[in-house]
Amino acid sequence: MSETGTILNVTNVRKTYTLGRVKVPVLHGVDLDVRAGEWIAVLGASGSGKSTLLHLMGGLDRPDRVKGERASISFMDREITSLGSHALDKYRARDVGFVFQFYHLLPELDVMSNVCVGGMIRHGRLGYRTNRKSIQGRASELLGRFGLGDRLGHRPAELSGGERQRVAIARALINEPRVLLADEPTGNLDQKTGDSILDTISEHRASAGLTMVMVTHDERIAARADRVIRLVDGRVQEDPGL
Amino acid sequence: MYQSLLTRKYLTSKLMPILAMLAVMLSVATILITWSVMGGFLKTLVNSGRSLVGDVVITWPNVGFAHYEDLIERLEADPMIEGATPIIETFGLVQLPDDRIELITIKGIDPSSYGTVTNYNDTIWWKPIEEPTPKDRDRSDVRLDPELREIMSVFESNANTLTRFDPASGETQDAGVLGVEVTGLNIRTEDGIYDPRTTAFRALPDGGIERVPGFMPSGGSVGLTVLALDSKGRPVDPVTRTIPIANEFQSGIYEVDTSTLIVPLGVMQRMLRMDEARRVEIVESENPFEMERDPDTGEMRPKRREIVGVDPARATNVLVKAAKGVQVDDAQARCKEIYAEFAAAHRGDVPGPMQMENQIRTWEDLNATMINAVKKETGLVLFVFGIVSFTTVFLVLAIFWSMASEKTKDIGILRALGASTGGIAWLWIRYGTVIGLIGAVFGTALGYVIVSNINAIHDWLGRTFGLTIWDPRQYYFIEIPSEVDLSKAIIVFIVGVLTCVLGSLLPAWRSAKMDPVKALRFE
Ligand SMILES: Nc1ncnc2c1ncn2[C@@H]1O[C@H](COP(=O)(O)OP(=O)(O)OP(=O)(O)O)[C@@H](O)[C@H]1O
Ligand SMILES: [Mg+2]
Repeated sequence: MSETGTILNVTNVRKTYTLGRVKVPVLHGVDLDVRAGEWIAVLGASGSGKSTLLHLMGGLDRPDRVKGERASISFMDREITSLGSHALDKYRARDVGFVFQFYHLLPELDVMSNVCVGGMIRHGRLGYRTNRKSIQGRASELLGRFGLGDRLGHRPAELSGGERQRVAIARALINEPRVLLADEPTGNLDQKTGDSILDTISEHRASAGLTMVMVTHDERIAARADRVIRLVDGRVQEDPGL
Repeated sequence: MYQSLLTRKYLTSKLMPILAMLAVMLSVATILITWSVMGGFLKTLVNSGRSLVGDVVITWPNVGFAHYEDLIERLEADPMIEGATPIIETFGLVQLPDDRIELITIKGIDPSSYGTVTNYNDTIWWKPIEEPTPKDRDRSDVRLDPELREIMSVFESNANTLTRFDPASGETQDAGVLGVEVTGLNIRTEDGIYDPRTTAFRALPDGGIERVPGFMPSGGSVGLTVLALDSKGRPVDPVTRTIPIANEFQSGIYEVDTSTLIVPLGVMQRMLRMDEARRVEIVESENPFEMERDPDTGEMRPKRREIVGVDPARATNVLVKAAKGVQVDDAQARCKEIYAEFAAAHRGDVPGPMQMENQIRTWEDLNATMINAVKKETGLVLFVFGIVSFTTVFLVLAIFWSMASEKTKDIGILRALGASTGGIAWLWIRYGTVIGLIGAVFGTALGYVIVSNINAIHDWLGRTFGLTIWDPRQYYFIEIPSEVDLSKAIIVFIVGVLTCVLGSLLPAWRSAKMDPVKALRFE
């Protein structure tokens, strides 16, 4: 797959949540083509299904199966919707990295361990033992680059929101994924901190050739992306205005 | 990998796992203590019983069997047998110094060989000792008194020979040894030793009270009444005799110590008429017309002949001790074989091997009812405690369930990072295993420490709170068994760990099955 080709393709994806007897349709046939190295901003009203879409693309959830329709999400031509749960676990561990609005760090672990946990999961027990040096090296390198070099032994509770989010980003990047899926990574931060987080990400993206799908509410942030899409009524609308 | 990291972190940062550990620890300790004490009780019972009567007992009750010396010789010639000794065991009435009359088990023993089969010599109480007994911290035991050393040595040698010197007649008389609890005049102190009463009181019919000497080995004697046997072994007339008391013994089995009198075998044989006797048999002549004059009446009668033989002395039991390393059951089987040879050699004089089939028994056989009762009781108590401990599973389950719920978001995060369902399940099972291991280690250690010091703890409870759980008058043994069996400790340990693992399974399963997206949205 070349750098300019499609890395992640979403075709006719539907997602309906069921709350008891009530069906809550969220996505009604989403089509999206993410090209390698691209930064896509996903805008949309609250509740429009942005997080849902991100979870589907990251293999955390599966789309609806509708008779007579072909829905697919594929990563580098590999159909991930039809993967077994084991292969899907691997996909999440290697190919994508998640960043969440509320950081989602493990409160008992220090900064260094929070980042390395991704490596442990990906490599398994033996693999981690043999790769420990390189994983820890990469973790401290990432954290150093994000300005946290002197906070490695701190617990998340001892960090500010911006610092926590940087740790979360480092964790998402520890396994060198091809795609970063970020769900309002600055939504919980003040503008200045948010901007510096975005600076950090875009710097890294440029150097690593990372593909990024970022959900946001903020038009100003969306403006920094290569491409902006909107989720309206459960479908994608390209935003040509930007 | 992340599982071990998180296990470690979850362990050190939360109170919940400590509670689960405590639960496991307490249940492990409880079961280990119960099992050890009950099992130790059974073991002590069997061991003390065996040291009282040896490994195998050959019995022909009441009338006893003859030629026992030959049987003993044959037994002792066998390499599987270490020794054998004859005894007569019967019941009698004993009249104590205060004129109380008690039913008593009498053992007529051969003092020279009895000690080689049983631990008789160790059970003799009144003898000089060098070191105080374990509970006797203030050295109040009279047996330690250097001034009494000499007299204690005399008592001891009297016990070994079953004799006592009578200064009045200047004769050495046959004497008996009483169970230390028989007279009720030896007061057992908290230190586990006996304080002899110097005087006892005897009630008089006019309401008065008479003082009588209370310490039996120095001048005390008891009246013993048994039923003598006729030549067919049927009890006929009561025979009474005064038995001077040489010493007292403590076997450790309360029932034995309250109701046993040991006397020389010869004394019993004479009293029961089981000693060697001339046998006169009258046979009428083959020729019915031969007549003779009766020397007593002077009348004529058919001529008869007197055949004079010897009725050998008899004993009711032969106690057998197996050689070192020989299993009791094997020794029992060998005794049966030897008895068969012996019976063949004395055909017509002794019971045949068929009759003896169920009379050659081990101590466990003899006391099967009691031993099985104790075994059943142990099983029952363990079962009850097992159920109580089973609640630990639910306690652990509840604790883990709430911890797993609390950690729902962490599970979502780990899943988003690629953790598999199996990995998440393993996180909790591993966590449960570690908590179980720690709890079981401490529980086993606690149980071990408590059992090892159970007598000291019991004494302390008694002194501080007046609490006596193990009363020697209700239990057979004076001390609580305090040994921990390694195999029991291992079993209890494993069960303790399994309890925790079992308790963690359901929360592990729930965590693993949780939808990661829902877990992430969890507040
Ligand atoms: N497990 C669920 N069961 C039922 N409905 C759900 C579930 N998860 C999400 N929804 C619904 O699906 C819709 C889309 O949710 P989603 O979180 O994807 O929206 P969003 O666009 O990310 O919103 P926001 O901008 O507020 O984060 C919402 O209406 C939400 O209530
Ligand atoms: Mg959202």
